[in-house]
Amino acid sequence: MALADESLPKAVELKRVSKSYAGTPPVNALSDVSISVSRGEFLGIIGASGSGKTTFLHIVGTLTNPTFGSVFINGLDTAGMSDRVLAGMRSKYIGFVFQEYFLLQGFTATENVENGLLYSGISASERRDRSEAMLERVGLSHRLTHLPNEMSGGEQQRVAIARALVHSPSFILADEPTGNLDSKNTESLMELLVSLNDEGTTMILITHDLDVAAMSKRQVTLRDGRILSDSYVQQGSVND
Amino acid sequence: MTDQFNNRPDIPVSHLGVLDIIRVGGSGLKTRRFRAVLSAIGITIGIATLVGILGLSESGSADLIKELDALGTNLLTVQAGEGFQAGQVSLPADAASMIKRIDPVYEVATISRVSGGVFRNDLIEDGRTRGITIFAGDLNLVKAQRGSLKAGAYLTDTTSEFPIVVLGAVAAERLGISEILGDQKIVVGDTWFTVGGILNPLHLAADLDRGAIIGYGAAEKFLDHDDPADVVYVRAYPEHVNDVRSVMAATVNPQNPEEVQVSRASDVLEARAAATTTFTSLFVGLGAVALLVGGVGIANVMVMAVIERRNEIGLRRALGATRFHIASQFLTESLLLSTIGGVTGILIGILATAVFTIIKDWILVIPGYAIMGGIISSILIGGIAGFYPALRAANLSPTEALRTK
Repeated sequence: MALADESLPKAVELKRVSKSYAGTPPVNALSDVSISVSRGEFLGIIGASGSGKTTFLHIVGTLTNPTFGSVFINGLDTAGMSDRVLAGMRSKYIGFVFQEYFLLQGFTATENVENGLLYSGISASERRDRSEAMLERVGLSHRLTHLPNEMSGGEQQRVAIARALVHSPSFILADEPTGNLDSKNTESLMELLVSLNDEGTTMILITHDLDVAAMSKRQVTLRDGRILSDSYVQQGSVND
Repeated sequence: MTDQFNNRPDIPVSHLGVLDIIRVGGSGLKTRRFRAVLSAIGITIGIATLVGILGLSESGSADLIKELDALGTNLLTVQAGEGFQAGQVSLPADAASMIKRIDPVYEVATISRVSGGVFRNDLIEDGRTRGITIFAGDLNLVKAQRGSLKAGAYLTDTTSEFPIVVLGAVAAERLGISEILGDQKIVVGDTWFTVGGILNPLHLAADLDRGAIIGYGAAEKFLDHDDPADVVYVRAYPEHVNDVRSVMAATVNPQNPEEVQVSRASDVLEARAAATTTFTSLFVGLGAVALLVGGVGIANVMVMAVIERRNEIGLRRALGATRFHIASQFLTESLLLSTIGGVTGILIGILATAVFTIIKDWILVIPGYAIMGGIISSILIGGIAGFYPALRAANLSPTEALRTK
């Protein structure tokens, strides 16, 4: 079990972050959220729908700016960063995994994983080598040239995880990664995430499924845009 | 605003090389081949029309120039015009010899209209002349016209004194004579003449195509004709043609120069060339309309692509694509579509022109400006058609783009 590494900058740090959307009345999706995630942690964000999970994902993923507060990614304050710089931050420090996989149809598993390196200025041949190695790591060495529609949901999500990991990000931001999978595939995917975390990958897992969240080592519960609880737990047990 | 983040090694810069921009732009087409083909067809038709029409027009004028070169542009036709007095005016009797004295003139040939009809035999009524005119002609007439014989021989010193006739191309056809077979006789005026030769069409003197040409000697002897020349064909050195033309009337008829009409035979051919240009403009206009419609088609397909591929845009933004990268992807896709359509159109246009010129026995000329114009206009159309969709894709917020509901 990898422990949080405090010698590196925090993977993510939110300081008193609020996000509200205009409307009557305005919607406060996040209110005064402060949290820091160290390298090597496995963080589960748990919340019902409407709790602010998606907004949390967007803020931590630098896809949107907070209304108030500061967001630090890998120790860097994102305030005032331009679109170009933020895109660069994402291409280097963040690995996204989505519920719907978002693989490009008509492109092989390897080509899809290569897209994870496309915007980081790495040569095409190195992109290929690293993508193949990463697919092997997630157990898909026999699927390199398969198209998404030739693979099962579990396999497609593994391709998406390989794509999120291929550029060695500071952390993986996974949004309901098991939401479209059956229980068997959910289990094997969670095993993969746990083993990747054991190797040192920082995981931020956003879910409403308590069984899935139970695999994480630190659980943060969101409700109505606020952090309700934040606790370290024993692996494999749910601690309310 | 971004300055504070520049040149800091810990702050990465999102990057996409030119080759990758093209690759990513092409990826959208690769997975939607059928739609790509359909949307490029408009451009293909437009460019093919333009290249084909310009190619045909250039090939046609190349052919005309070749024809003009062969016929020469230095042939002047001198004949009596309309005088101030009523009635027929004619050239003075010494017109030909006067013209010969103009320095840059090197060849003079004359014809004189002889009254009477031309008939297959002596049983046909006098009225049915079939529009064939009898001409008395000089021995160098065919040479001056740069004409050629389809069959037989033209008049010589000797045969011009005998009842021998040479038929123009149209006259021969109307009389039903297509070759010289032994002693073929027809009635010219009221005398039997032997057909000695048949001319190929003369491009600079269509009158003679409908003529039956006999020698001046024969005309005098058998048809009692001794009028002077009605038409004088003059060849002058090309660089002096205009000078010769300007002094012609006064030389031929110093008293009444206005009764002399001088024309340049090749002007007719040039007028013909000008007429085809008008036709060309019409088709170029049609091609331009096809291009416009093609451009609108591409813009339409690109707007749809942006809507359909919202999630892809969101994903790419999450993977580190900047707004510029997203815009360049869609702009490249549009440019590829229109350029592929345009290049295909150029090839089809060239092919169509080649087939047509082979059929017409013309020289194949594809003007460079048609090809360059085709490429440039397809790039322009692709750029304009793709601009708005690209901008729309770039301005889509990542959170909006990633939404699945």
